[in-house]
Amino acid sequence: MEIKTLWKANLKRHAGSVCGVCFLLLLVSASLATVLTVWNNSGRYVRQEMARLGYGDLTAWVSGLPDPGPLSDEIAALEDVQSVGTQQLIFSEYEIGEQESDSEGQLITYDPAQTPYKIFREDLSGYEAGPAEIAPGEIYVSPSMISMFVLTIGDTITFPIARSGVDKTFVVKGYFEDPFMGSSMIGMKGFLICQLDHDEITEMIVNAGNDGLARSGHMLHIFQTEESSLSAAQWNAALNQNTSLPHYVEFTHSQAAISGFMLTLQNVFTAFLLAFAAILAAVSLVVLGHSMGSAIEQDYVNMGILKTMGFTSRKLREIQLLQYLTGIIPGLAGGLLLALPAARVICQMTVATTGLLMPSNLPAGLCLLALAILLLLLVGFLWLKTGRIRRISPIQAIRDGADSPFAVKGGKSLLRQKGLGFWLALRQLLTGRKRYLGAGLVALLLVFFASMIGRVDAWLGSKGEGLMDAFNPADLHIAAQPMGEATIENVEQVIREYTGIADQYMLAMPSVSAQGVDYTANVITQPERFHLLMGRTCENPDQVVLTEFTAADLGVSIGDAITLTGNLGSREFTVSGIYQCANDMGANLGLSREGYNRISAEGENIWCTHYFLEDESLQPEVMKALEDAFGGDVYLHENSWPGLYGILSAMRLLTIFLYVIVLVFVLATTLLTASRLLAAEQKDFGIFKTIGFTGRQLRFSFALRFGIAAFLGSALGTALSAFLTDPLAAALMRMEGISNFSSHPSVSAVLLPGAVVVLAFVLFAYLAAKRINKIPLSVLADE
Amino acid sequence: MKQMILRGEDITKSFPGCMEPVLDHIHLAVYRGDFTIVMGPSGAGKSTLLYALSGMDVISEGRVIYKEQEITRLKEAQMARLRSREFGFVFQQTHLVSNLTLFENVAVAGYLNSATSGRKTEERASGLLSQMNVEGARNRMPRQASGGEAQRAAIARAMINEPGILFADEPTGALNRRNTDEVLSLLTALNQKGQSILMVTHDVRAAIRGNRILYLEDGKILDEMALPSFIPEAAREREEKVSAWLTSLAW
Repeated sequence: MEIKTLWKANLKRHAGSVCGVCFLLLLVSASLATVLTVWNNSGRYVRQEMARLGYGDLTAWVSGLPDPGPLSDEIAALEDVQSVGTQQLIFSEYEIGEQESDSEGQLITYDPAQTPYKIFREDLSGYEAGPAEIAPGEIYVSPSMISMFVLTIGDTITFPIARSGVDKTFVVKGYFEDPFMGSSMIGMKGFLICQLDHDEITEMIVNAGNDGLARSGHMLHIFQTEESSLSAAQWNAALNQNTSLPHYVEFTHSQAAISGFMLTLQNVFTAFLLAFAAILAAVSLVVLGHSMGSAIEQDYVNMGILKTMGFTSRKLREIQLLQYLTGIIPGLAGGLLLALPAARVICQMTVATTGLLMPSNLPAGLCLLALAILLLLLVGFLWLKTGRIRRISPIQAIRDGADSPFAVKGGKSLLRQKGLGFWLALRQLLTGRKRYLGAGLVALLLVFFASMIGRVDAWLGSKGEGLMDAFNPADLHIAAQPMGEATIENVEQVIREYTGIADQYMLAMPSVSAQGVDYTANVITQPERFHLLMGRTCENPDQVVLTEFTAADLGVSIGDAITLTGNLGSREFTVSGIYQCANDMGANLGLSREGYNRISAEGENIWCTHYFLEDESLQPEVMKALEDAFGGDVYLHENSWPGLYGILSAMRLLTIFLYVIVLVFVLATTLLTASRLLAAEQKDFGIFKTIGFTGRQLRFSFALRFGIAAFLGSALGTALSAFLTDPLAAALMRMEGISNFSSHPSVSAVLLPGAVVVLAFVLFAYLAAKRINKIPLSVLADE
Repeated sequence: MKQMILRGEDITKSFPGCMEPVLDHIHLAVYRGDFTIVMGPSGAGKSTLLYALSGMDVISEGRVIYKEQEITRLKEAQMARLRSREFGFVFQQTHLVSNLTLFENVAVAGYLNSATSGRKTEERASGLLSQMNVEGARNRMPRQASGGEAQRAAIARAMINEPGILFADEPTGALNRRNTDEVLSLLTALNQKGQSILMVTHDVRAAIRGNRILYLEDGKILDEMALPSFIPEAAREREEKVSAWLTSLAW
């Protein structure tokens, strides 16, 4: 009963703090539950949808095979293979308006009985019943085409089937959910068409003969037996060694790899958001600890009195804890509820980038477990903080109040007439430094995290250069690959009409197998251009460079020997270095042209020439001129790809969102700290007024205290971020195959997070201190 | 002819919910160089009158004029400037800023006066602390100083800008006898150097330091008494005289 009475009284007295704590924990809980929901649901949903649609543990894209039956039977006969399913398709480049695809599209024949794709409603808010069949001339696309090409329903897509203008144009009828190639992170895109159109295009390909640009093909969905213990790489190697698959295969991907491609964006963002939620949780601990310390100071005398009445320290600690739990538990529970609409909004917002409408239902067990751990952490931390109550001596508390045991020391005066507001703020900050420690620590944590986001943004660059460099094995300004009658000389002639060519090299991306596992090989004429991370480049024909992913996949390192196989046979190569290329989630390797020629004959039109322009600023004009001059005859690309814009937009949105949350946290921290200080210093403000300070001067000086504390925290946060954020962000990026993360932010980008946090603290403290204006001087007469 | 420095006209102060006003249409003048005392029983409105005259509290009716300037109409910044340059305050509780040293408490008030350089303010603050005999405690925080030291520092702070008038609200109310004597001697010495003082007290020993005593009861000034300048040797005689006057007023 007595606990209930005191609990109620405390709640009344500290209502502001309890509400503030509730609000902070609401934010933490909501962010944590939302991130966990997106992370958990996205991974589970992609796997679930792939299984529902019949995608195998390994999928091989094959072409040049009129009937896939015999190959399927051959594969199905292997010991580790449970079954093989097929989907017919047509490989073709495509054009949307004036934009050309930089990867092939796959025109998949719509067969809802075999592969029941989900069809989106027009506004992408959910699904509608799929059509029984697609009408001729109509096509369904992934919603990620919206962010990649600004493609909407009613627009047209043209597929060049053969040279001399043999095209097939479709009208976009709707969007379908493609858990296999739907994400804007994946260049190749699936399209749904009807059987009639498939047959028509097949006939066009046959009629075109050698002039054909499109190819007929199939996806082979290969399922592994449950008993099989082979890894994806080992299984891929076994299929290549024991079947005729290598003769027809264009590329193969395991379900895990596809899932990785699909979830690249979500994984990177949720990793950042999860780190952010952890930072927010740490900030909450700091704020709660500070608030608890202030509350004990404020109630110091009362606690002394209660002790004289027979209350034990333990009971008083329990009352304090109970008071805070009154804010914490509703905050955590409210956050969980808030996560429901938040997850729904995020899942809805990301459809146009990820191509998936992820379920937004909370994974209750996971969220409750995470929040229970957080609650335990909070309770343990607060219980430790209440330990101070044990040291309260009743008589000392009643006689001296809270200041006595924590008395501050005087010393040489810091005050100066010039800039009095600042010096006064500094003096008071130093005197009551414990009270501002929370603000400083919060500033440190928030600046550190904001700096990390800033560095990722700086690495990404205004045009996504960082990401492109991570995906491209070597730098370039413009790349051209003649596919028809136009020659590379014709291309260079057009370029030179605008600017000189500073340098050039050639790159091809054929498929080779390493130790029996298929990989994309980046074959280059100037191996010194590879983005090398360790060791040396493949200068000699018997050398190969691997990505970190491939090296780990094959279990080799620099100096080891591996066997590469191409259409001329197998040869041994020495791993000379580790290089960066995030294509295929990093599952690729790099060879010199001479090295590639040891195992494969060069196919027709495999070389893409990469140019460096003397005047890089003319790149857009040159690209336009080349497109106008050659159309589909020359495959052109630059250091960009359509999905980049979606990623850049998402990154900008994420940055803005995180900055907003940072500001909200600064606001909550300031209000919680300021309210305690203002209550404690009410009399001091009255005194200052009697000696001639205006309310405005006092508010400014008060705000400066927070500014100085935040400045110190921010300076430390900025300094720490200079050493730690790159390695931390790099660790997150490495999970997605990007192992060369290194940001080079400008001075302004480095200083921005700290400046924002300091200014926010000053501004919010100034606003919170508005009540100083209202403090009557009669506050001094009341005693 | 004495020069009037502060004038209150028809001052009335009511509090919400109270039938009777605490100050009831008071007319009052304070003269330059006077040590004016306001006495009266508890609840008479002494402190309220002091805060009304010093502009620390808002009055319900009437006006207060300081050096021909109506202070009841001043805006916050003008009032703050007036407090900084013309008014000094000493309270019953010392009311020093808790997180500044005694020296800083004195100096900070001086820094507000832009007419004086920072260096001169610091010299004057040190001089005042010496004069108040608290130089040795200058770097102590208020809680680390004795009540007497803190109150003397508060007087030093009130004097740092050489105010036109010093308002004192029961300045010895919380002090022991020795400290009370010291503080009263300081105030007397300041007055004898020409400092105008308006002090509220209910202590006869403090009241006899003044040369003019006003008696306030039920929000009205009932009577006043004039005294010659204070000399310690005549203290007992003054005390008897004032006591007799107070008795006649049913004190």
